[in-house]
Amino acid sequence: MAGLEERKLVAATANGNVPAAGAGAGVDGLAGADQNSGRVARFFFQVRQWWPYYAMMAPGLLFFFIWHYVPIWEAKMAFENVRIIPPNIWVGLKNFQVLFSSPIFHQVLLNTLIISGMKIVFVFPVPIMVALLLNEVRSGTLRGVIQSAIYLPHFLSWVVIAGVFIALLSPTDGAVNQIGQAMGFQPVSYMTNTGAIRWVLVISEIWRSAGWDSLLYLAAIFAIDPQLYEAAEMDGASRWQKIRHVTIPGIVPTIATLFILNMGMFLSADLNQIVNMQNAVNASTIDIIDTYVYRMGLSTGEYALATAAGLFKALIGMILVITSHLVSKRLTGKGVW
Amino acid sequence: MANHSRRTPLERVEYVLIVSTLLLLVVFTLQPLLNLLALSLSEPDRVAGFSGLSIIPDGLSLDVWALLLQHPNVQRGIFNSIWMTATSVCIGVFGTALMAWGMSRPGLPGRRLIFLLVLVTIVFEPGIIPDYFLMKKMGLLNTPWSVIMYKAISAWYLIILIRFFEEIPKELLEAAELDGANPFQTFFLVVLPLAKPALATIALFYLVLHWNEFFRAMIYLNDQSKWPLQVVLRQFVIEGDKIAIVGANNANNNIGLAQINIRALKAGMILITILPILAIYPLILKFFTKGTMSGALKG
Repeated sequence: MAGLEERKLVAATANGNVPAAGAGAGVDGLAGADQNSGRVARFFFQVRQWWPYYAMMAPGLLFFFIWHYVPIWEAKMAFENVRIIPPNIWVGLKNFQVLFSSPIFHQVLLNTLIISGMKIVFVFPVPIMVALLLNEVRSGTLRGVIQSAIYLPHFLSWVVIAGVFIALLSPTDGAVNQIGQAMGFQPVSYMTNTGAIRWVLVISEIWRSAGWDSLLYLAAIFAIDPQLYEAAEMDGASRWQKIRHVTIPGIVPTIATLFILNMGMFLSADLNQIVNMQNAVNASTIDIIDTYVYRMGLSTGEYALATAAGLFKALIGMILVITSHLVSKRLTGKGVW
Repeated sequence: MANHSRRTPLERVEYVLIVSTLLLLVVFTLQPLLNLLALSLSEPDRVAGFSGLSIIPDGLSLDVWALLLQHPNVQRGIFNSIWMTATSVCIGVFGTALMAWGMSRPGLPGRRLIFLLVLVTIVFEPGIIPDYFLMKKMGLLNTPWSVIMYKAISAWYLIILIRFFEEIPKELLEAAELDGANPFQTFFLVVLPLAKPALATIALFYLVLHWNEFFRAMIYLNDQSKWPLQVVLRQFVIEGDKIAIVGANNANNNIGLAQINIRALKAGMILITILPILAIYPLILKFFTKGTMSGALKG
């Protein structure tokens, strides 16, 4: 569930590849230990030499084992009939069959795809435009003030943001309806309007992330060689020509990386946002895989079904993330990690 | 960046349009927050029809804030949030730094395997139900440790720190070794002081992450007295559970907090929850922005 935010951050700060393949000197010690006993001995000798480092890593390793690897084992529930009195019975893929034949799950899957799709189309381009505009601001002070203001929502929780939007969209006193009424429209209860609620997700996501995400693009713009702008000016290029022919080509790799990152998270659609925007009226339109897992598992008590749905999402998510990592690596030289 | 000595009228109009668009974005960002601030600072008995557009308090009163800050549920929420966040940040920073230091050492046997095992956790997340059952089996359900421990170390911040540690000049470490420092002394006396800016950045990341955490707290903690502020806020503003703050007795008899405008109370609660973020916002701007802009966390 931790996710896109961190991914973006790491992608943006990437200055090459992290240790990975063969970066280290020395023998890796893990490969082909069975080839001869000399290597095994050397491995243990090395481990003994390095023990202070292993000791320092121990709490972290233990953490990853307990909170990330044991749950993978726990997820075997997805293949079991979970009974109140243990042991559970192995049922193979039956839970998945039930899941995939459930009309509710079809709707949930559809909702997830629609919401993610809407976010890609309508949210993704906004920070790019904001960065392009910010780059045109000549006064550093003015730009700093604007940046300080528009970054703020990124650091607020979705509980807070949902609270802000419920107030903002209130049919009686909310700013949006006040403006609407001044223009002669009837007040609309956006939060309980099934047609509007997905747009509320889009707009609130823009409110939260457009400012902060523009920073990633701005960093890329600032890294463009100033000589390119000077050359363009010598050729008499206008502002728009410079944006089109220098700035945008300069940030295409960043755009590609972040776009691919977003694609990797396509089945997520942001649980934290939706769990706070959901209510009895709009639930069916913005019920996503994660809210389905939460509801089935922790409210209804359909543990096996919920785990199966979670596992399905995890597997597809894994394929998407790895694919996006490889595609990103191929196209831009920058991976997800 | 550019030579602006000769600007045509068209360019000036363009510039005005660009700046106005950005200022509009600033208004769109800040107005909803300023509106809630104004609402919470107004005289409580004058805000019945307070406009969502206004950012000027109607009268000036700290009543709403005072009432909320004296409220036992809110106080408990603040207390829980502060100690849980502080504990998580300490565990997170030290755990991450120790592990990142080991993983950043070239030649460490098994380094590639450990890196792979960490990457797997980023790519494959089996979901909340297995996590929930693990918590249950470990007897951590309904204890704050379930919330503190489950994301004590972030794989992402680990990667960021590894990158930082890898760039520490070898000569410094060799010098420490020549002076007879063992690996622990090197780490605590040489590496950590060098890494202060990076550690401060990571600490801020963790701080924002944990202060804003609500989902795990919501599913793991049944006991209202253990709730962090975010969950208290959620109960009141998102679930619309008026009783949570107003109190059943007050609500039934229309006394005490029930007489205070509910919108003003909600606005006040939202702002109290944001306040710590606002307090450290200058630091956030400094470290987050720098961290992202410079490409590496060199501080």
